[in-house]
Amino acid sequence: MDIITFKNFSWKYSGYRGWTLHDINLSIAKGEFIGIIGKIGSGRTTFCSSMLGLIPHFYPGIMEGEIIIDGVNVEKSSISKLSSIVGLAFQSPSNQLTGAGTTIEEELAFGLQNLGVPYEEMHKRVSEMLKIIGLEKFRKRSPFELSGGQQQKVAIASVLIMNPKILVLDEPTSQLDPLGTEQVFDLVKKLSKKGITIIMSTNNIDYLSKFADRIILFDNEVVKVDTPKKILTDIELLKKHSLTHSVITDVSMKLKKYGLYHKDLIIDFDELKNVIKGMIK
Amino acid sequence: MASIGIISYIERDSYFHKVNPLTKLLILLCVIFMSFAINNFIFILLLLVLIIPIAIKSKVLSMTFNPIFKLYFMFALLFIIQGLFHPYATEKLIDLPFGFILWKDGLLYATYIASRIFVMMVFGYWFVLTTHPGDLVSSLARIGLPHSIGYIILTTLQIIPRIGGQMKTIIDAQRSRGLETEGSLIQRVKSFMPLLGPLFMGSVQQAVEKSMALEARAFSAIGKKTSYRKTEINFADKIIMAGAVIFSITWWWLSWTL
Repeated sequence: MDIITFKNFSWKYSGYRGWTLHDINLSIAKGEFIGIIGKIGSGRTTFCSSMLGLIPHFYPGIMEGEIIIDGVNVEKSSISKLSSIVGLAFQSPSNQLTGAGTTIEEELAFGLQNLGVPYEEMHKRVSEMLKIIGLEKFRKRSPFELSGGQQQKVAIASVLIMNPKILVLDEPTSQLDPLGTEQVFDLVKKLSKKGITIIMSTNNIDYLSKFADRIILFDNEVVKVDTPKKILTDIELLKKHSLTHSVITDVSMKLKKYGLYHKDLIIDFDELKNVIKGMIK
Repeated sequence: MASIGIISYIERDSYFHKVNPLTKLLILLCVIFMSFAINNFIFILLLLVLIIPIAIKSKVLSMTFNPIFKLYFMFALLFIIQGLFHPYATEKLIDLPFGFILWKDGLLYATYIASRIFVMMVFGYWFVLTTHPGDLVSSLARIGLPHSIGYIILTTLQIIPRIGGQMKTIIDAQRSRGLETEGSLIQRVKSFMPLLGPLFMGSVQQAVEKSMALEARAFSAIGKKTSYRKTEINFADKIIMAGAVIFSITWWWLSWTL
């Protein structure tokens, strides 16, 4: 069953000449993990923002076509209504902390307060969420005292606590160090296993290749939608859109070049490991 | 929060920390009322006798009084200006060199102002030190404070140290590009100017992102909001409130009759 549908969707920011996104037609099924890749300015953030209704309700511009999220027409709905279906976390870890609470638990509870969730249930949900993100010990700390990775986890958790069906992550690891990146990806992996539909924009293709069901390549329009293997091993396509392939793919390319390996290019570390093991034997 | 250099809530396990913020706010309002309505500075200063046991019980005695002693310069200036230049002064105290006169009624007027400021500030500090901003906003929301105003109160305290941090980053970035940020006062004022552009632009950008984050958390949702903090007015609060009102009216009446 499709939970997200884009029908002939186009968007132009007011004051800009061209379309940031043009003629997008997409269907995303419930529970899918979708990876979004594309160069800077390819419209990935716009795409992510559109699912929560920030486009067209927050940013001024011209919209064509329609977006249906869990049966709700985004254009006819409001951001606050959509926020109970879609959770959006974006790049900067600290800027998306609302500062509405002086502690992590209050930061997490903020969305629930706005939705009018009763006191007892709110406390229960906050405790559960703290367990999921592994920050129970820090519940009374200020979110601004945390590391970038921990802040990003709080930011993701604070939208997740509102029980959205879809979690949209716009470059959540671009400002994080390797440890923070791993923490965020671990959390996303956990959520994906729980059946939440995940849309993740990132150019960290090593991680995407592991977790994503499908990858969408953007360049102000949908260039290609396919499995991670098909997209991430299409070197020409990636190059054309200013993207690089992963180190794993690169190793398999070199092996192919030197005639040591003859099959399809590899994106998975374990697969590469097995190939090399086989060669050694 | 203590590191931001402005007085803020201090976590303590005391009776007054648990008292409803509205009760404490009413006490503060009563003190403000008494400070202005009472025309006898001895009655005003006697209110300090009240705050000492309250501050001890709240475990914030030194913090309640310390900040105000740092304002000695302001108080000294008040006495000097009023003592020497009070516009309606008639009663001379002493003649000073260079033709200056120290006026008795000027000093008396300064004493009134100083005692009012002192008492209000001490009670104000006690209120801030013992009241968690979240509890205050939550209880004010219960009596009709708009949701958005509550957010502004809460977030302001957290934004100040962040802006300080950003200023430091910008200064460091500009220093590394050769901008002179130290030296004479004029030099420092000059170096402050190029700081404003990036700081302002950065703040605007942050405000946009923050408002998106707020929207993503249903900030503009219509309907009843709830609070993560429980702030209820119990019987003891009602007794304290009634006591504060009765005391302030009685004290005011006594100051006029005695």
